[in-house]
Amino acid sequence: MDRAAPLSANHRRLRLATAIGALLVLLGTYVVSTTERANAGPVANAIRVAEFPADCTYSHRLPDDPIVFPGLPGASHMHSFFGSTVTNGNTTLPDLVGSQSTCNPRVDVSSYWVPTLYRDNVPVEPAIATFYYLGEGVRSDVVANTQPFPLGLRLVAGNAKATGPNDSIARWSCLHAGQVPPSKDFVTCPSGTMLESYLDFPQCWNGRDLDSPDHKSHLAYPVNQACPSTHPVHVPKLRQVLRYPVNGDPSRFRLASGPGYTMHGDFFNAWPVAEMARRVQDCIRPVIKCGADGRPI
Amino acid sequence: MRGIPVRKAGCLLLAALLLLSACTSGSPAEPVASTTTVPSTATAAPVGTASAGGPAGLFSATDIAWLQLTVAMNERLLPVLDLVPSRTTDPAWLRFAARLGTAHRADLSTARRLLAESGAPTTNPHEGHDMPGMVTDEELAALRSATGVAFQRRAGQHVRAHLDQAVRIATAEQRAGVHPMTTALASAVVRTGNADLAGLDRLDRP
Repeated sequence: MDRAAPLSANHRRLRLATAIGALLVLLGTYVVSTTERANAGPVANAIRVAEFPADCTYSHRLPDDPIVFPGLPGASHMHSFFGSTVTNGNTTLPDLVGSQSTCNPRVDVSSYWVPTLYRDNVPVEPAIATFYYLGEGVRSDVVANTQPFPLGLRLVAGNAKATGPNDSIARWSCLHAGQVPPSKDFVTCPSGTMLESYLDFPQCWNGRDLDSPDHKSHLAYPVNQACPSTHPVHVPKLRQVLRYPVNGDPSRFRLASGPGYTMHGDFFNAWPVAEMARRVQDCIRPVIKCGADGRPI
Repeated sequence: MRGIPVRKAGCLLLAALLLLSACTSGSPAEPVASTTTVPSTATAAPVGTASAGGPAGLFSATDIAWLQLTVAMNERLLPVLDLVPSRTTDPAWLRFAARLGTAHRADLSTARRLLAESGAPTTNPHEGHDMPGMVTDEELAALRSATGVAFQRRAGQHVRAHLDQAVRIATAEQRAGVHPMTTALASAVVRTGNADLAGLDRLDRP
């Protein structure tokens, strides 16, 4: 699969220029941040949670999947897209880099997509979609060594082909109704509450590949609070949280991929390198809760 | 994917970024030695880059995705066609299903052979996956319990959905694929698919 480097000959020169630019930006960040630290000392009153979010509204729907079916528009079940507004079956990294985004922050032109939820066969889109980047689930020294996601990383989490709850990592619950136990399949949410879906992406990268044949195995979940030796690079844990404005009888719901336990998420990273690096440095490694602007809350 | 070794510029970019971000990872007083595993992993990238893209490096991600999907779609259609002789006596339907079955079996074996050649995983990534144009297990069960004209109507809908989708994605593969034998197979699927859709129209006429 693609390695963690630009592949298209057409973009080599651009990439080199980008590389030099990114180095300069990072150098600048380094100088500024060390100066600020010397002057101001550690951030006071920071919330000690390693986190920065991207809040992305629904963008569009297409039966496309540029990770699983690249170059084959129409090959997939229906997906709902968030983030970059241009994503389709032919999308590659340069398409995303120059695009508009539905995310707060706007600089996040990554693409995120999930199977469309239907109620009575009518599509329902999330009222709230948040993609959290977290430093959790591993030892604190591992969090302190978190690296940014490489630009152009493609990753699928969850199991679109799950045949039952046992081969699924989906989690369904109800917003503002914590008494309803979470489940791998749809749950019955009381009226006045929203059906919500949580999905955690793996956070240990093999340090090498931007994609893999199954679009999953270049990353792994942590083992014993650390990254396995096969996937030694700790990256942020991407947590996809979707709140759908529906509740009640789950038999009326289905995903484009099947039952609730087939929930999955696709992530195509197009964060500007410096923006992601700054957030990893300022929010994840020092364990500080940041807002969408990547500044401490 | 294409088996092209990592280019120097990209390698430098990644290594430099990781090194730099490692340098900026903490307060100046902190030792930076703990992050050394990251750059060394990243610079190891050029080793063994040909593995996933296939030995010849001739298959693109689009080629492989299309072959996998074609295998999965044909595997789903054949059980429908195999039901025909036991569910109807209509001679036109019997001929149509026999011809379609032969063609789809041939395409299936070609697609499997090309997939093996590509070095892609031999397991079917779409096994058990209900995708557009694919007959679900429930639909197949419903078909089994139907006979005669009712069966023909249902089977006709499934065959049409399959052919529509097969032509759609084979057209995309013709445009976006790179491996000559794979795009040639796609061209054949488009051509015969359109002819079969026309044949289905004639069958459907009361």
